[in-house]
Amino acid sequence: MVRIPERFRRFSSRRLELAAFVIAAAAATLAAGPAVAPVAQQPPPPPQARDTIIITGTAGRWALPDCAPKRPDEASQAACRTISQVLRADLRFEDLFQLVQDSLIGAIPPLNPQAPKFEDWKGIGAKYLIGVQAEATGSELTVEVRVYDVDSGQAMMQRRYAGKPDNPRSFAHQASDDIMALTQNKGVAKTRIAFVSDRDSSKERPSKELYIVDYDGFNPRRVTVNGSLNLLPAWRPDGAAIAYVSYRQGSPQLFLAKIFEAQSVANLSGEKGDGQAFSPAFSPDGKSLAFASNRAGSTDIYVAGADGSSPRRLTTTQANDTAPCFSPTGQEIAFTSDRTGTPQLWLMDADGLNVRRLSVGSGNWNDGCAWNPAKQYSEIAYTARLEAGGFDIAIIDLATRQVRQITEGRGSCEYPSWAPNGRHLVFSCQRNRRWEITIADRDGRSLQTLATGPGNNVYPDWGP
Amino acid sequence: MPFRIARLPLTLLVLASALTFGSGCGKRTPALANARPGEGGAGAEGESATQARTHQLQEGPDVRAIGNEGASGSDIPGGAFTGEGGPLADIHFELDSAALSDEARSTLEKHALWLQGQRGVRVTVEGHCDERGTVEYNLALGEQRARATRDYLVSLGVGQDRLRVVSFGKERPLATGGDESSYAQNRRAHFAVGR
Repeated sequence: MVRIPERFRRFSSRRLELAAFVIAAAAATLAAGPAVAPVAQQPPPPPQARDTIIITGTAGRWALPDCAPKRPDEASQAACRTISQVLRADLRFEDLFQLVQDSLIGAIPPLNPQAPKFEDWKGIGAKYLIGVQAEATGSELTVEVRVYDVDSGQAMMQRRYAGKPDNPRSFAHQASDDIMALTQNKGVAKTRIAFVSDRDSSKERPSKELYIVDYDGFNPRRVTVNGSLNLLPAWRPDGAAIAYVSYRQGSPQLFLAKIFEAQSVANLSGEKGDGQAFSPAFSPDGKSLAFASNRAGSTDIYVAGADGSSPRRLTTTQANDTAPCFSPTGQEIAFTSDRTGTPQLWLMDADGLNVRRLSVGSGNWNDGCAWNPAKQYSEIAYTARLEAGGFDIAIIDLATRQVRQITEGRGSCEYPSWAPNGRHLVFSCQRNRRWEITIADRDGRSLQTLATGPGNNVYPDWGP
Repeated sequence: MPFRIARLPLTLLVLASALTFGSGCGKRTPALANARPGEGGAGAEGESATQARTHQLQEGPDVRAIGNEGASGSDIPGGAFTGEGGPLADIHFELDSAALSDEARSTLEKHALWLQGQRGVRVTVEGHCDERGTVEYNLALGEQRARATRDYLVSLGVGQDRLRVVSFGKERPLATGGDESSYAQNRRAHFAVGR
């Protein structure tokens, strides 16, 4: 979709595999179909700019004046409006950029993006200036983004993005991630969130299907089309597949949705008879898959290859051991066990040894771990029943064992998952009998409901 | 026990795909319609679309019907064998427990008698939970409930090969209210009857 100038061009174009979807949907109407609808290809993460100044930190105000259409036509103007709006929202979301107020920008002459009058921008307190121009010509949208250091007048980034004009939002997302990279941060503007919804359920056939949505709640797309129960999505770290639990064959089993190929692999862990498997979680290197299975009688944690091969049993108690999650190094696994009576968080090495309890004295029910993937934050988010009644999202600091509560009074919240840069969390909350996807930053200061669409929306997993 | 449709002939699948082309797209629309204005599914239909289609027809999984999964089949009190649901009433559990109450045992004893008179019948024992637990813990708890129920029926002489266990956790509540009465109805083992 987004094309980068020659020297940066390493992207494959996005594809929409509609025909494959139609087959899937058709089969679904017959009975329970091949389960997965295709999703447009997402390009790999952008390369780091090599010819740029490195900014250490983001101190200083950023001026982001409105995008300037390169042509006066309505298409260019409309694209510009969207790009300005989305780029602002993307940069604000990370809460790293202090933006210069719009009223100040309106008080000085409009920006000439290719030759800014830097004294004007210095005059309104800007340290950095982002100039955006766009041009829509029927079949192509071209967007140019320039980032200047106002004091030196030097361009820190100059990039041209070109591609199909269908989704100008994706241009802004790409630019936002490139600007984040300038500040030595990994952006999440192009990431997507997988979740489960009953929005396409019917009375005759109550179903829960898998969907994915852009991180900002736009562009929801359905992944599974099998009319059964599909739960607990877990992205493979390469972003090309999602492991999930499906009842398509009667009992809960692990499936793998290859989202670009409209294919699914059934019963990944090879459960037999009354065996059931759930709680899929990939290791950070994508080579291993942890899950819970009852194949040996009680529910225990297993680890297999990413394709479900060679499963090994890691826990051996008669208690319920469920909900594994890997540490960022892949060397440890946190999980939930009720071996001491109530569900609590436990830690073990990835080979199942060195088991020790993590959650102590903070609520009588702790479940659903999500280990922060950013190594600088040594912490685990989880679902906690801190008071009688509902559940809240909490985070435990692994060094100090201090617990901070992220949600309070938002109804019952559960199933946290981290953004790839560890700066935000996504989870689901039930309020007024309806479940919705909710996003919070890691200290719980800002919480927002992600408007992904109708129905009950649960079990989010933040993808790469 | 889910009903299964045998693998459909390839030609039938192709035909059905063609026939349902319109409705397939129509079904898709609600999911996409929620996108904000200006949000198209971006990208071009390339050769990959055709490839995926061919691949899927040749190597796609069997087409299966989804059987009775939970609350869809309601019990018919005192009725004769009627397929899904059947005459086997749900049994209920205490909060966060898979222990069988005296009442549940007494119900299961009647179920066992009935099952012994219906030799051809197979039953899927479904374990269900109320919504006041986390999703994964409830999947494990529902499995414990189904297993405890199955084990008691086996101890009463019902052949284990006639009984399957499946946990639905909190995913298929019978009552959708947020009150104790709804919760109590939802903490159950349900019996899906098939032949």
